[in-house]
Amino acid sequence: MNAGGTLLEVSDLTVTAAVMDRSLTLLHGVSLTVAPGEVVGLVGESGSGKTTLARSVLGLLESNITIAGGSISLRGEEIVSPAADRTVSIRGKHAGMVFQDASRSLNPLFTVRSQLAEVLRRHVPGIGKDQIAARSAQVLERMRIADTGRVLDSYPHQLSGGLRQRVAIGLAVVTEPALVVADECTTALDVTTQAEVVVLLRSLAADLGVGLLFVTHDLMLASDLCDRIAVMYQGEIVELGAVDTVLLHPEVDYTKRLLAAVPQWNGATSPHA
Amino acid sequence: MTEAIAALDEVTPRRIRTKRARTSVFWLSLPLLAIAATVVILPLTGLLPDPNAQDLDNTLAPPVWLAGGTWEHPLGTGKLGQDILSQMVAGGRLTLFIGVVGALVAIGPGTLIGVVAGYYRGWVDIVISRLIDAQLALPFILIALAIIANRGNSLPVLFLVLALTGWAPCARVTRSVAMEVRERQFVMGLRAAGASEPRIVFRHIIPNLIGTVVALGSLQVGTAILVESALSFLGMGVLPPDVSWGAMLSAGQDVLTNAWWVALFPGIAITSVVLLVNLLGDALLTHNDPRKRKR
Repeated sequence: MNAGGTLLEVSDLTVTAAVMDRSLTLLHGVSLTVAPGEVVGLVGESGSGKTTLARSVLGLLESNITIAGGSISLRGEEIVSPAADRTVSIRGKHAGMVFQDASRSLNPLFTVRSQLAEVLRRHVPGIGKDQIAARSAQVLERMRIADTGRVLDSYPHQLSGGLRQRVAIGLAVVTEPALVVADECTTALDVTTQAEVVVLLRSLAADLGVGLLFVTHDLMLASDLCDRIAVMYQGEIVELGAVDTVLLHPEVDYTKRLLAAVPQWNGATSPHA
Repeated sequence: MTEAIAALDEVTPRRIRTKRARTSVFWLSLPLLAIAATVVILPLTGLLPDPNAQDLDNTLAPPVWLAGGTWEHPLGTGKLGQDILSQMVAGGRLTLFIGVVGALVAIGPGTLIGVVAGYYRGWVDIVISRLIDAQLALPFILIALAIIANRGNSLPVLFLVLALTGWAPCARVTRSVAMEVRERQFVMGLRAAGASEPRIVFRHIIPNLIGTVVALGSLQVGTAILVESALSFLGMGVLPPDVSWGAMLSAGQDVLTNAWWVALFPGIAITSVVLLVNLLGDALLTHNDPRKRKR
């Protein structure tokens, strides 16, 4: 699966936030790589810095948050460092992002068709109307949406949650970026729909060679989807390795506790029964 | 049978909602459109005398239903024998024009300034917010009198006064709505997709504010009409031979005891139009409430 080379390289990234005259360190020297076609899971509890790390990659941090040290490179080109932020040039074109709640990540006033067209027009110079229509339909088909015509002409509120999330993923990958960052993108979905989305993301990595950084707090989901897992705790990556290694033989206490906290269903003694 | 009930469940709530939403907005716009149509079309028929034509043998004639009234002047005449009905129509045209244009000159810049402050935040927001505070702290009538005393009264000056005094409340409201919209996830989604900041503002934020802006605009129409009336009442509004409802009101004040009709009809007209416009604004605000729209 790992085709050699590195797609995304985060090295020694330190991120601080200015809160009420104080400086708060959100990430302490975090290092991580994603190879083409690889799915890397970023797990941890709320406030562990997963989302901060994910957003730094695309330069989507709030204005009070600064990169204090380290760097992020995409295909060997430095895009984030304390001195410069070149993420604007990669956003949407080389890297896409999928957010937690698709019902809020699409503009309610525009149809799916016009939102896809907007992204395509921005990133594919000289694209014609026919090509836009063809690629829009094609990306939705890849998202395993059957009646693409209806979905394209729908407004976001006319679609179900699962469809909406698949449209949101479609928006992120319609320009065929090398990297997709998914920030808790299955959290708002029910379990069956989650599984569908996971299969879809998996196929993006396997078929298109997209590198995927998958942020989640759901360990079991991460184990389904990811090749490697990075466990984050208080702004640091405390454990990083292949899924089986991390989940079956965790080295760090925190990972063990995280695993112990996963609700288990072992026949008669379900806690929710 | 069961299917029929299921089908009813599907359809009924939707139908009720659109119907209710339409009724208030629709029924409030109807009389306003009727008034606008009347004041525009009636003079074209040639049935009305010139609003400024003087009939000195027939000054302060009462309306037709009072003793001494004639069909020649159905709503009576003014101090110089001008036909009140003609003046109502001509004045209505100017008053509505002032209302609409006066609202646009305040809402346009106000919205833009508010969106810039609410979207970009930071020092831009601080500067604009202080300006809004400063503007709101100045008594309106003082600004109006100062400008008009300096520049004389004409329509452009009136619109300048309306723009200067109207942008601030509008900017304050759109600023807070823009602050809410910019925090919605789709804005970050657009940024992640590489959309430029001006594009996000003009193509995505502002359309999400349209409901609020339309409602603000309709309220501002009422304000503009009242401002013009107040200024005309103070003798600083519309000058003859132009006539507006406010100017008619002002002309009628010193004959109020013996010829009430000179002031009453424009007074009723101002009150009802402003009331209708304000109710329409309220209805539009509810109609476009984002929480309703999301459903």
